[in-house]
Amino acid sequence: MRALVRVLVRVPVRRTVAGHAGVTVTRVVASEWTKLAGLRAPVWVVVATVAAAAALAAVLGMFLRPGDGGSGATLVVSGHLLVQLGPLVLGVLVGAGEYGAGTATTTFTAVPRRLPVLAAQVAVTAVVALGTAAAAVAAAAWATAGVRAGSGLALDLGDGETARVLAGYVLSLTGVALLGLGLGALLRRPAAAFGAAALLLVVVDHLLATNPGRVTDTVRALLPGAGSRLLLDDAGLASLDAASLGPDLGPWGGGVVLGLWVAGLLAAAALRLRRGDVV
Amino acid sequence: MISVTALTKRYGPTTAVDGLTFTAPSGAVTGFLGPNGAGKSTTMRMIVGLERPTSGTATVDGRPYAELAAPLRTVGVMLDVRSAHPGRTAFRHLLAQARTHGIPRSRVDEVIALTGLEAVAHRRAGTFSLGMGQRLGIAGALLGDPGTLILDEPVNGLDPDGVLWVRDLVRRLAAEGRTVLLSSHLMHELALCADRVVVIGQGRLLADATVPELVDGTEGGSLEEAYLQLTAGAVQYRGGDVR
Ligand SMILES: Nc1ncnc2c1ncn2[C@@H]1O[C@H](COP(=O)(O)OP(=O)(O)OP(=O)(O)O)[C@@H](O)[C@H]1O
Ligand SMILES: [Mg+2]
Repeated sequence: MRALVRVLVRVPVRRTVAGHAGVTVTRVVASEWTKLAGLRAPVWVVVATVAAAAALAAVLGMFLRPGDGGSGATLVVSGHLLVQLGPLVLGVLVGAGEYGAGTATTTFTAVPRRLPVLAAQVAVTAVVALGTAAAAVAAAAWATAGVRAGSGLALDLGDGETARVLAGYVLSLTGVALLGLGLGALLRRPAAAFGAAALLLVVVDHLLATNPGRVTDTVRALLPGAGSRLLLDDAGLASLDAASLGPDLGPWGGGVVLGLWVAGLLAAAALRLRRGDVV
Repeated sequence: MISVTALTKRYGPTTAVDGLTFTAPSGAVTGFLGPNGAGKSTTMRMIVGLERPTSGTATVDGRPYAELAAPLRTVGVMLDVRSAHPGRTAFRHLLAQARTHGIPRSRVDEVIALTGLEAVAHRRAGTFSLGMGQRLGIAGALLGDPGTLILDEPVNGLDPDGVLWVRDLVRRLAAEGRTVLLSSHLMHELALCADRVVVIGQGRLLADATVPELVDGTEGGSLEEAYLQLTAGAVQYRGGDVR
């Protein structure tokens, strides 16, 4: 990972001499972590995300009727549509927060090569989002334990489909956090980044859904919201694909689409950072 | 030493800095003067790589700022904007800066003590007064014990005690052989602490001289008088008469 970051941001590889005085990627990561952990908002976002995942799954579980079908894993991840707001806010806070507060000057005078900062923000955001999403799965599993036992819905991690749905949930939440980071770093204004994320993840998809057809279905499949395919079980994927004239993305294709959006937005943000002024 | 050569910055139709050339030598405090909007802050931001020049170059000790391996240990910067996120404590803000260079926590405590911020080090910067924020900015500039300091209106908002402290600080740093480039609108203050002055107006160089050279060449015999005569044609924003 570090080697990859080094290549991407063209930081000269230096043997870590004790007492070496300059900027290194590891140090910039430590700095970004210090910055993130020093604010209240991200801490509350993490707590709220985990709590919302548990509460939503528990509430939706109360509406289960015997014989509804579905699976334990699907119930655990059922709050996704709202829960993803948490990682999105986290990513936007990291990506745009400094510009909004006018303190990006401090960050970039310390690291004038600039790109190591973006790389470090990706690393810190990904780790925090992964941890948050894993905690959300655990909390939702705990909160739905009673309902699942009552309806006979198993949650067996040894089962391939269950493991895929839960891992897909964690990955898609992490992807949404990085999408927020990319938009925040590119647009540099939290409100603009949230607006763009709402358009990309929800609004455009809903508008296109009113006019189904080969073209609109294809476009819908290529929006970053396709990442939510990651948490559908086999039955969910089958019914989604049956209703769509777009491409068949398979179980992981939606995740690849989200990943490409993240990569594209981060590349655009890197280009703006590299070329332009920090104001 | 800071060298600025034919530096130009345009924002669309406005030319903020226009072919500016000067040097700030080591072992001296160089005052950077000019009316509001003259381009002082823009020049400083270009020197430290925050803004890309339209043309021209700026170097510190012969190298562009962005190529320095340890920028904070070479150049200390305090700009005229708020430096700390309002939600972060002063200590956390400085610690995050220090971590980029592996500067130890003990040095963070040192600059906090040096700027008199011990009592508020763990308060969020958003609750700081103007002068406390200035002190935090100066603390950040001193973090890496740099050989060059770039300070944009450092005494703005400081109490008389703070002004005196900054004056002594920059004099001492220059006496140690360091380079200090300091912008200010306070002529009496600059007359006391600067060895040389660079005066600009509308982005162009108006004067680059030692303080005695400038003052002796002016009738009236003060830095303020010399400054007012030099910039008479370059003031963009002038107050009206009060009726
Ligand atoms: N980001 C920007 N976009 C457009 N114009 C800008 C920008 N930054 C500065 N300017 C313009 O550049 C000119 C120089 O501004 P600068 O802040 O460098 O002046 P200054 O000498 O520091 O003034 P002051 O004494 O008021 O601090 C001004 O006309 C200003 O409006
Ligand atoms: Mg200014």
